[in-house]
Amino acid sequence: MAEAKHRSFSFQRVFALTVNTLIELTRQKVFYVLLIFALLLIGSSIFMARLTFQQEFQILKDVSLGAMSIFTSLLAIVATARLIPQDIEDRTIYTILAKPVPRFEYVLGKLAGVLLLLAIGTLVMSAMFLVVLYTREQTVLHETLRQMSAAPREQVDDALRAVRSSALNLDILPGVAVIYLKACLLAALTLFVSTFATTNIFTMVVMVFIYFIGHLQATAREYWLQEQSAGWITHALLAFVALLFPDLQTFNLVDDIVAGAAIPFALFAKTAALGIFYTTIYTLLAALVFYGKEL
Amino acid sequence: MIRFLLVLVIVLVVGAAKLPIERELSAIHRQEHFRGIEFNLDLREQLGQLGFIAALSGFRSIVADVLFIQAHVAWERTEWSRVLLLFRQVTTLQPRAILFWDMGAWHMAWNASVAAMNDRSQPRFALRIKAQREYFAIGKDFLERGIKNNPERPQLYESLARLYKEKYQDHARASEFFAKAAAIPGASSYDKRFSAYELSYCDGRERGAYQRLRQLYDAGENERLPTLITRLKFLENKLNIAQDQRIPDPGP
Amino acid sequence: MIDTAVAVSGLTKIFAVPFHRRPIVAVRDLDLRVQAGEVYGLLGPNGSGKSTTLKIVLGLVSPTRGHTEIFGRDSRLVESREAVGFLPENPYFYKFLTGEETLRFFGKLSGLSGPRLKKRIDELLELVGLTNARDRRLSTYSKGMLQRVGLAQALINEPKLITLDEPTAGVDPAGSREIRNLIVDLKRRGITILLSSHLLAQVQEICDRVGILANGVLVREGQLEELIAIENQTALVLENASDALVTEIEALAGNSNAKLIERRRSTTTLERLFLEVTKDPNKQ
Repeated sequence: MAEAKHRSFSFQRVFALTVNTLIELTRQKVFYVLLIFALLLIGSSIFMARLTFQQEFQILKDVSLGAMSIFTSLLAIVATARLIPQDIEDRTIYTILAKPVPRFEYVLGKLAGVLLLLAIGTLVMSAMFLVVLYTREQTVLHETLRQMSAAPREQVDDALRAVRSSALNLDILPGVAVIYLKACLLAALTLFVSTFATTNIFTMVVMVFIYFIGHLQATAREYWLQEQSAGWITHALLAFVALLFPDLQTFNLVDDIVAGAAIPFALFAKTAALGIFYTTIYTLLAALVFYGKEL
Repeated sequence: MIRFLLVLVIVLVVGAAKLPIERELSAIHRQEHFRGIEFNLDLREQLGQLGFIAALSGFRSIVADVLFIQAHVAWERTEWSRVLLLFRQVTTLQPRAILFWDMGAWHMAWNASVAAMNDRSQPRFALRIKAQREYFAIGKDFLERGIKNNPERPQLYESLARLYKEKYQDHARASEFFAKAAAIPGASSYDKRFSAYELSYCDGRERGAYQRLRQLYDAGENERLPTLITRLKFLENKLNIAQDQRIPDPGP
Repeated sequence: MIDTAVAVSGLTKIFAVPFHRRPIVAVRDLDLRVQAGEVYGLLGPNGSGKSTTLKIVLGLVSPTRGHTEIFGRDSRLVESREAVGFLPENPYFYKFLTGEETLRFFGKLSGLSGPRLKKRIDELLELVGLTNARDRRLSTYSKGMLQRVGLAQALINEPKLITLDEPTAGVDPAGSREIRNLIVDLKRRGITILLSSHLLAQVQEICDRVGILANGVLVREGQLEELIAIENQTALVLENASDALVTEIEALAGNSNAKLIERRRSTTTLERLFLEVTKDPNKQ
């Protein structure tokens, strides 16, 4: 019998866990329910009451990107919350860890499965969104051409240009990437919370709480660092929020992209880096707690 | 126990480390006039609990859209104060959306003002004029604040120019703002022309207007639109331009 | 070549239970050794600490005091599990995978891949008799089939030590017999087997040495034969003996210090009878 050399880190092991997690997740109804709901939302904006085309495109983009944002954030939390606790409850974790699998790889594999799931969801929704946007854009372009068939060339060009610029703004793509990274952050954070949470409800409630506080963190932080007049209890509370919670507002770029703003590359790169940083830290913390966990 | 303390320490250290980066990103957001919605009690009152929370949680633009649709309905019902209120909220939520500033201004300066002028319930003409001018001012204010939040985009300059031209008959300012718009990439092709037209209506600025119009004329065929030619001829006569320097008459 | 497969030294495990006054002492000062190549049975009533001990040996639970080793490597190191297979009680698998997918998953976790993994999967499915069920989801498997898949995944990486937690609990007599045959077969190949059980009659058949736990303490340990031998009794089993011969032996005994306590017909076991009469030639 060959003595297998033990590798302290093995991509094959992590990959096997990732794929397994992905299969497990795609069997859960929550993924399909959320996905179909989001797709319906995006698709239905084709039928909305017609305002001017600028208004229509704006609302289409807002609703679609809003749907994507909520879908990925919600899925990240809901899908991840039960992963490790389920394995512990079903005892499947014993069979896995009885193999030469370091606990860190187990945590990593689970998370990677969720991140893959989120990526697939994001891609599907983006594709749907782009198809709807393109279809509407073409329809409006043709209508415009028809209505302006007698107008001078210059005006027609101006009009077409106006239509095109209100439709697809390429900056939407980095905006979507940042939405995805926010979801990754939430998934890693949920995984971390689930390693010490006692029940599923606890994890979900904590995550919802974190989601809202995370959007207020910026205000709390600035107030803490600038205001001197507040009492020490307020200061302590603000410090607590500023240090412990991630600033989720930094990941909301789409609101402004849709309004027509351009994203400087430096901003995108820094935001992306921050998202990756958070995701990594929370994963490490999850592994740290999990190493000491009594099974 | 040790593990718990270790985790706590890591969280705090990482928390402190990330603060400068987050502050920097927030600063960039402010600089770009992105408005991550601040904890604004007024806005909370106006939007109601649910709307405020939704706006706060990253669905600002959807909340703005919903309010915008409500403003549309209010307009159809000619509830002008409600239209104004909603557009104030909408532009607070989405200061980077040109559309909202533009429409807010339009509803005030073009629609509400007319309604005020024709208001049967106000018998005194002077007071109707006063109301009308107040609406002009509110519309102008929308555009000016919109420009402040979006200085690098031409549309609101164009709208402000139009407002000066049509509502205040202030051709000097109109010309100024058309020119500002024309200087920005992405401006409509007619901005330069309109700026020159407006200038031509100003007493004492005929020489400058003539030079500009002549430049445009010389630029090419596509600038030689009927209005341009008419104004040019008018100025040629007014300024007594030498015959050999005048533009030829348009053919039959 | 290390002789001791499993070494447990001074092992104590105390579980702190929230809201209880007193923590639970699952295992108390346990010392035991499993020699390479033998079948060791860890016995005891429910709650005696058998499962906990196995889990500590496998590095799934950490000890409060003392330590455990597998082939000389500390259980807390991940590499100590390189050549170890574990069959848990109530096999814990992902029910949405098929038999083959399950084996592939665990094979990959054990470091196998490619054609070698495929060959191994085929071999093991054959060995445990699940070749016909390989493409069915585990949710459709009977308890006996689940145990067999469990055994297959425990063997996937050609281990030198196999740990079985209640391998025949809840399994019907036929399945149970198959599992026990497999264990004997594994022993023949030189694999060390550590198992825990409270089904004593079954254990008696296959174990070389046993340890009996009660309330976390090892109360008896040793070679099975020696432990259950009744010191001063001898059993003779005769075939085709006539009544006269038996009476003569009785008389001989009567003339010495010995006493004939019992004379009866040899029996088979109820289990063997059951299996014999219920055997279904078509059953897999």
